[in-house]
Amino acid sequence: MLPNAGQVAKKLLDVGILAAFLIGASSAHADATLDRIKARGKLTVGVILSGAPFGYIDPKTQEQKGLNIDVAKALAAGLGVELETQTVTPPNRIQFLQQGKVDILIANMQYTEERAKTLGYVPTPYDRVGGAAVGRKDSGIKDWTDLKGKTACVSQGSNYTQPLIEEYGAQVKALPSQPESLLALKGGNCDVAVHVSGTVSLMLEDRADEWKDYAIIIPSDLIPSDSVIWLRKGEGDTQAALDNIVKSLHVSGKLIEFARTNRLPSIAYLEEQQKKLKDGSQ
Amino acid sequence: MLDGFTTHFIDLMKTVGLNFEFLTSGYEVRMWLDGMVTTLVLVVITIPISLIFGVLFAAALTSGKKWLAVPVRAYVELTRNTPTLVQLMCGFLVLNMLISNALGGAQNNPLTPFFWVVAITGLHVAAFHAEALRGGIEAVPSTTIEAARAIGFNSLQILRYVELPLAVRSALPSIINNLVNLVKLTTVGSAIAVGEITYASIMIWTQRDNVVELMLVILLFFSLINLVVARIGFWLEKRLAVPGFGQ
Repeated sequence: MLPNAGQVAKKLLDVGILAAFLIGASSAHADATLDRIKARGKLTVGVILSGAPFGYIDPKTQEQKGLNIDVAKALAAGLGVELETQTVTPPNRIQFLQQGKVDILIANMQYTEERAKTLGYVPTPYDRVGGAAVGRKDSGIKDWTDLKGKTACVSQGSNYTQPLIEEYGAQVKALPSQPESLLALKGGNCDVAVHVSGTVSLMLEDRADEWKDYAIIIPSDLIPSDSVIWLRKGEGDTQAALDNIVKSLHVSGKLIEFARTNRLPSIAYLEEQQKKLKDGSQ
Repeated sequence: MLDGFTTHFIDLMKTVGLNFEFLTSGYEVRMWLDGMVTTLVLVVITIPISLIFGVLFAAALTSGKKWLAVPVRAYVELTRNTPTLVQLMCGFLVLNMLISNALGGAQNNPLTPFFWVVAITGLHVAAFHAEALRGGIEAVPSTTIEAARAIGFNSLQILRYVELPLAVRSALPSIINNLVNLVKLTTVGSAIAVGEITYASIMIWTQRDNVVELMLVILLFFSLINLVVARIGFWLEKRLAVPGFGQ
């Protein structure tokens, strides 16, 4: 049967749009990224350096450090290539990935169904984190439900925005990144700042003087979710190769070691994961 | 009825490869539409503020009184020569905190992010208006001013009835230029969580990855606003034209 003119026109338009915007790198043939990584001998990873323990620049040595960097190094070593890092921020990280400026993202970016629709990801998570609310000790906020009508600062691109607005009725102000958001909290522009719990608990501990009036005022984490490595959709070979490396990092206890040296507040999830994968492989 | 229209629009856009699915989600659409309204409100408020302060600054600069001209000159240089985004961050994150501390706590501080965008962008562009008007004022022939003085005008009257009317006419093209820039400048508000259209779009596209779609809307939206601003400016120029003046 001949395709009708409408279908043909639509197909042509689709192709034209794709070409015009140079996105949608998910072509039907083999996974070019893994080949390219191997050919160049280099893995380019988009990392976020918004603060310890996940990613930061050591003030003394000017070196990039943190869990994101350690995982990135281990992945590059696992693939037998060199590591190149590219700093990204929450509002631009997806564009860096989609435009091919980075091969993968290890960028404090948790799994959500919405993200999985447009991006590929490594199925085995390398950590699990949730959001913690930092606020003044005398704020009277004790639970997420107390945030109704209160102002919560987050960073732009944060996946805490939707639950804060839709479930808890908070007014959300999203600032470009975590330092601005915390500064806004200090300036009294918001009642709480909600960020990845590991980062803020470490900051409160390390800069206790500066933050003495503040604490993590809600005991439970907001939507604990899996930290996964993101890649462009349809890159099955890269995904499989990275998944194997992440699994072996779990089993060998490397990830737990990274978590300890970077002082992550809780390693319970990683221990559980290690046990599960070890049992599974026996 | 409206829902039917929306789904129809989403389907239509899908056929050309654009993803507008966020239009069916509750809070994102509300935030997006609020963003458009906020941008329009910002434009409507900042344009008159920039014009009023532009005239005041220009009057101070050309007053010949040192105590007026020097501080205004200092302000004009400072605001013209530094990035607006940095000024805004400084205002909102640093000055605002100092003000809060002085007032004994943030709860006593009435200054919102919205206030800071209006103040910083409005006054920033006012500095450009002031320079354009100063040029116009200084271009008024000294014989005209002498004539005004001869019929008994004082310096305020000369400014009001002689210098400004002529200066506005010659400065109008650059003032309109400045206003077009001001409209675009309101997008810096996105950096301090003022819910204008860029901010709303960033909030949506960081979750949905529909950057191209929302960018297109932002571009169209600002093109439309500035088309209107430029047309009004053009009309004003025609309307105020004095036959024989400036040719």
